[in-house]
Amino acid sequence: MLELDKLVKLVGDGIEAVVTALGLGPTWVTLVQLIVAALVVVVFAALVVLFLVWWERKVSARFQMRLGPMRVGWHGTIQTIADALKLLQKELITPANVDRGIYFWAPVVTFVAAMAVYVTVPFGKGLIVRDLNIGILYILSITTFTVIGLLMAGWSSNNKYALLGGFRSAAQVVSYEVPMALAIVAVVMLTQTLSMGEIVSQQAKFYQWYIWRQPLGFLIYLVAATAECNRTPFDLPEADSELVAGFVTEYSGMKFAMFFLAEFLNMFTVAAIATTLFFGGWNGPFLPSWMWFLIKTLAGVFVLMWFRWTYPRLRVDQLMSFAWKFLLPLAFINIVLTGLGIYIFRP
Amino acid sequence: MDTISLAFYALAFLIIAAAIFVVTSKNIFHSAIYLILALFGVAGIYVLLQAPFLAAAQVLIYVGAVSMLMIFAIMLTARIADQTIRHTNEQVPTGLLVSLGLLAVIVYSLWQTPFAISSDPMPEGAGGTLGKLLLTQFALPFEIVSVLLLGALIGAVVIAKKDSVRREPEAPMTPLPKSAEKVAG
Amino acid sequence: MPDVFALQAPPRYEIEDDDLLINIPAPPEKYSGAYLTETYKVNMGPQHPSTHGVLRLELTMDGEVVLSIRPHIGYLHRCFEKHAENLPYAGIVPYTDRMDYLAGLSQNMSFAVAVERLMGIKVPERVEYIRVIICELQRIASHLVAFGTYGLDMGAFTPFLWAFRDREMILDLFEWLTGARLLYNYIWVGGLARDLPEGWVAKTREFLDYFEPKINDFNDLLSYNHIFITRTANVGILPPEVAISYGVTGPNLRGSGVDWDLRRDDPYSIYDRFKWNVALGKGRFGPIGSCWDRYWVRIEEMAESVKICRQALEGLPEGDVHETIPRKARPPKGDVYARTESPRGELGYYVISDGSDVPLRCKARSPCFTAISSLNAVVQHAKKPMLIADVVATVASYDIVLGEVDR
Repeated sequence: MLELDKLVKLVGDGIEAVVTALGLGPTWVTLVQLIVAALVVVVFAALVVLFLVWWERKVSARFQMRLGPMRVGWHGTIQTIADALKLLQKELITPANVDRGIYFWAPVVTFVAAMAVYVTVPFGKGLIVRDLNIGILYILSITTFTVIGLLMAGWSSNNKYALLGGFRSAAQVVSYEVPMALAIVAVVMLTQTLSMGEIVSQQAKFYQWYIWRQPLGFLIYLVAATAECNRTPFDLPEADSELVAGFVTEYSGMKFAMFFLAEFLNMFTVAAIATTLFFGGWNGPFLPSWMWFLIKTLAGVFVLMWFRWTYPRLRVDQLMSFAWKFLLPLAFINIVLTGLGIYIFRP
Repeated sequence: MDTISLAFYALAFLIIAAAIFVVTSKNIFHSAIYLILALFGVAGIYVLLQAPFLAAAQVLIYVGAVSMLMIFAIMLTARIADQTIRHTNEQVPTGLLVSLGLLAVIVYSLWQTPFAISSDPMPEGAGGTLGKLLLTQFALPFEIVSVLLLGALIGAVVIAKKDSVRREPEAPMTPLPKSAEKVAG
Repeated sequence: MPDVFALQAPPRYEIEDDDLLINIPAPPEKYSGAYLTETYKVNMGPQHPSTHGVLRLELTMDGEVVLSIRPHIGYLHRCFEKHAENLPYAGIVPYTDRMDYLAGLSQNMSFAVAVERLMGIKVPERVEYIRVIICELQRIASHLVAFGTYGLDMGAFTPFLWAFRDREMILDLFEWLTGARLLYNYIWVGGLARDLPEGWVAKTREFLDYFEPKINDFNDLLSYNHIFITRTANVGILPPEVAISYGVTGPNLRGSGVDWDLRRDDPYSIYDRFKWNVALGKGRFGPIGSCWDRYWVRIEEMAESVKICRQALEGLPEGDVHETIPRKARPPKGDVYARTESPRGELGYYVISDGSDVPLRCKARSPCFTAISSLNAVVQHAKKPMLIADVVATVASYDIVLGEVDR
């Protein structure tokens, strides 16, 4: 079948042979292997974003009874590439009185944080850059940098709307990170490991998926994760009817595109984590593992798009009280229930 | 020099440079950003020490929560972010004395401590062991620290809330338009 | 040549502070005074996606809490009233279209009614029926925009395109009838520009049959959405007495539960012949007069307009629509104030004639202008702190058209 793990091994061995032939030590072998893997992941992420942007436009069009992009390529498939080329050509405007250094670095930080997550996402059998033994904790911690980037953008833009957008994103992400982490903790209590690869291999059979043992945890995760990646109904940091464009108000061209890319990458990440933790990761019959992973993850992304094109937006205080007064107690209840379940059903 | 040492010195340089910028930067928001950089560098040191769990916790707690709250406080505090602030005050000699004293103490203790080098292999999945220890052997310190933090939290709310102070608007909210003043004579 | 220096200087007005300021600042201790914070100002607009045109709102803010709103208007002022003083009556009609560009026919109608009253013209039955049909269709089209943009302002994108899909059909009908899609110049003084084309009535019936069940779809998508209700039901409350004191009219007044509809209470044209209900805000999910109530009045009015349209199509008589159009409109000396129920409320034209073929004075009473005036009152009467998002919700629930406010 079309499994890719053989290919990956082949390439890895090839690199090892070449680097060793050049007379360099094993550290260099690992380094070169990691660099190649990182490049592959970056290219993959770029392709994912290209696809997701096109798909989002098509999905939204269907929800709204229109066609969406149709002109560039078959059903507008290469529309996104055209848009990306347009964005590349645009002037990078730096408004007066912005904090130049921070203004420049904000999109970089956001984008790199969104990208760094992919180090430990299991894309398929043998397709994981580094199966860190703190995998899920690593993802949780590295995503916090996204918010730092948003805050930097909001603060440095010298714009009230951007500043308010920055406030909102910080408050929102700090609030929703807690129930999200607690929902993940409940799963980790069952898996007894933080490693993403291990978690996937525990869910080999359909009935072993953690969604069956953690339905509440999955719902909490889904809601909190939607808030984490600033999607409707939690898209307050960039609520266009209130804050124009929130923290990206002053950005243009490729800097804007980097925020945009980060948003779509985050959406994919959220769905990928949901797939790994709750839906058996790349496990599945007949099809190659990476295809199963993609199918499950894109289904998750579709749910997020469904939310976006159906729901109105919450208000700031409603958002906060929902997180602290409803979601957080629910997450604690879930943890207590999980603990009780482990205590009763496990020797 | 092997790669590990190289990485260590690079990280150490990053941390120290960032730390110096934290103290000398005139803009307090910049200080906060440099602090995040320094804390992130410390996480890198943890990774070099093969303590990835600690590194992740460092990033999650210091970068994700503590620094973010600091930035939040800076952004919400009136006008503090607009201004350039002097970080030194009139008592430079005293400060120098105190910090030199502190440095001497640290160096002395570093010198005196016999750092035992364990030959045991690194435990896999330190998270589980840490969790067990926190909830069994070190349950009491863990709880005490939690209560302390809770106290700090409530204290902050109490300090921030000033019931008796009534806010007076500094200037008239909307000044009369120039044209209107002219007409009014 | 007149001696310009001999002309009298304009009168000097003594302007007091109170004339210019709308009760600023609000008492801050009501909800946020306990914390030592700093107020600042945000200019919302004139280029802002949710001010529905070029309206500038000066918001005095405390964090995200809005303490007061001061609307600034005039960015779209096109001197309609002055234009009207230099144009023959028939020539003013196209200008009325441009005031409320979402409901041009209702504006035509109101002006025509005013001049006809001044001249004492009784228009043929067929004209009256056609006027009612197209004005009600126009009301549906206008309320569809209100519904769609309200969804947009609440962050839901899909309702907007659903609404525009159905509005498009009405616009197609209008295009067929009048030749224009936005600025119609169709209802003339004393009659109509042209008669109904063949097959128009059947197509309109078809549309009404198609559209009536769609209202339920809208409700399923937006009206009963839990998030939407929490966003709007306790927000932007305009108490009935405040609404009356500010002269708020139309769906905004009815949203506050005041049973007042000019089509029923001061019937013009032939509205007294039809059976329909006046939609009222009932405070279903919160206090009466909330944003949701105003929104809901519009949804219900669309259904009621369908009813009126159906009845009018039933009773449509034969006749000549050009019969009573005067060759040159020269109303006798005198003045008249005629008011009609436009989709936005009481639209009135006060016309003074000196007997010539141009009016001496023509004043339009704009329903949106009064609605905007009450914005600050909504903030001051709010029981809970009002956020920027609530300002957006309130402004959008007023369904204002800046072309009409500024004229």
